[in-house]
Amino acid sequence: MHIPDGFIPLWQAVIYYIIALIVGFYSIRWARTSLDERKVPLLAVLAAGIFAIQAMNIPIPWGTSGHMVGAALVAIIIGSPFAGFLVLTTVLIIQALFFGDGGVTALGINIFNMAIISSWVGFYGFKWLKPVINEVPAVFVAAWASLFLAAIACAIELSLAGTFPLTLGLYFMGLYHAVIGVVGEGLITTIAFLAIKGVRPDLIYREEVGSHG
Amino acid sequence: MHVGISQIESESGKKSIIHSLDGRIKLIITLCIIIYAVYTTKIPVLWVMELYLLVLILVSKVSFSYALKRVLLILPFGGFIALFQPFIRPGVVLYTLPLDITITYEGTIFGILLLSRLIVCLTAVVLLSSVTPIQEIVNSGRRMGFPRELALILSLTIRYLFMFYDELERIRNAQKTRCFDIWNKKTSYMWRLRQIAYTIVMLFLRSYEQGEKVYFSMLSRGYSGESDMYQEKKKISFNDYLFIVLTLILILSIELIRHFYFI
Repeated sequence: MHIPDGFIPLWQAVIYYIIALIVGFYSIRWARTSLDERKVPLLAVLAAGIFAIQAMNIPIPWGTSGHMVGAALVAIIIGSPFAGFLVLTTVLIIQALFFGDGGVTALGINIFNMAIISSWVGFYGFKWLKPVINEVPAVFVAAWASLFLAAIACAIELSLAGTFPLTLGLYFMGLYHAVIGVVGEGLITTIAFLAIKGVRPDLIYREEVGSHG
Repeated sequence: MHVGISQIESESGKKSIIHSLDGRIKLIITLCIIIYAVYTTKIPVLWVMELYLLVLILVSKVSFSYALKRVLLILPFGGFIALFQPFIRPGVVLYTLPLDITITYEGTIFGILLLSRLIVCLTAVVLLSSVTPIQEIVNSGRRMGFPRELALILSLTIRYLFMFYDELERIRNAQKTRCFDIWNKKTSYMWRLRQIAYTIVMLFLRSYEQGEKVYFSMLSRGYSGESDMYQEKKKISFNDYLFIVLTLILILSIELIRHFYFI
């Protein structure tokens, strides 16, 4: 889903950069004030872990493979979409500047899709669904939606840029990620969530207490 | 990512005129080249730029096959969209294939444009990361005014990136010695998925716990929200100026020639 350079006109790329900068400003402020004792270094090291996690191939039936984005997992565990944003943005900057995975001018748009949309959908999807359909299904649906909606956004943006027609884009990107998302993001995040709950339940953010633990 | 992450670092440790340039200069030039490549809509312009980048790769003694391999490996997603253009863009029909599939002139040109742009931008990034250690780029970014927090996060992430790649490799090797294969159909699919999820959990927990440790040890050494990274002062040398001026002259003259001859 990493959009490369040259697929988005410069003026549109600037708009996404501005959105990313505004959210970036607020998330740094969040890290300074709400994250207990300015745990910025923790998020930085976690980003390195997410980077390695994204490199793992996950087998999808019919012979393809996908990989995890991880925004929903981070946002749900740490208990804030800002955490998902900071971690994913770090990963995306490094991927763009050093690995060519996603463009440099397209960095803003990739942050918009995979750091902003994924984290917010993942976190609020989980938060709102939890009372309705229970915790574990909520993790699954939120994680799936976080990938699926990011892919839909990606298709819409490519059509706005005049690079790929909307219907075809929605069909390819939407269908592909709807399927990949069930396994790659939904199932894996759910299993991971349950496993973390089993081993380190103290890490998972609980609203009733208001902080970790 | 698919070319070993440590190989990128070993290429950037070589010595050449390009390697010895200041990180800021290399970062600025890469950005200029990429922005100009995205801006231009003329295919020959992009080919001249690609030629320039190839010359730089040659001068920098970066292994050619290595650079080529890296560009080719990142190409698929964008390449797929570019290859689709001849079939989906309306315009003058060149060929009609069975099932009413048409290949248009405009689509073909646009597809080649996208692909050329993509190759120029990827070559630029591959060149940058092959001649500059990752940490050096972040330090240069900080000197050019990246926000303090961002520079701190990036440099910490980079420091642990290699560690977690090794960690992942160790876990994979351990699984391999026990004959684990994610494609092995003889084991249940859900079981295989669970193993992968557990690997992900291990990486997540280890990085979380490492992060806590790092944070506490930084805290005990006086880290606060206002801490800044130490920056070695570096002067921009004559070579640096020469290189940036040459590149800018090249871009400007390409743009002027294009303006007067192609319009």
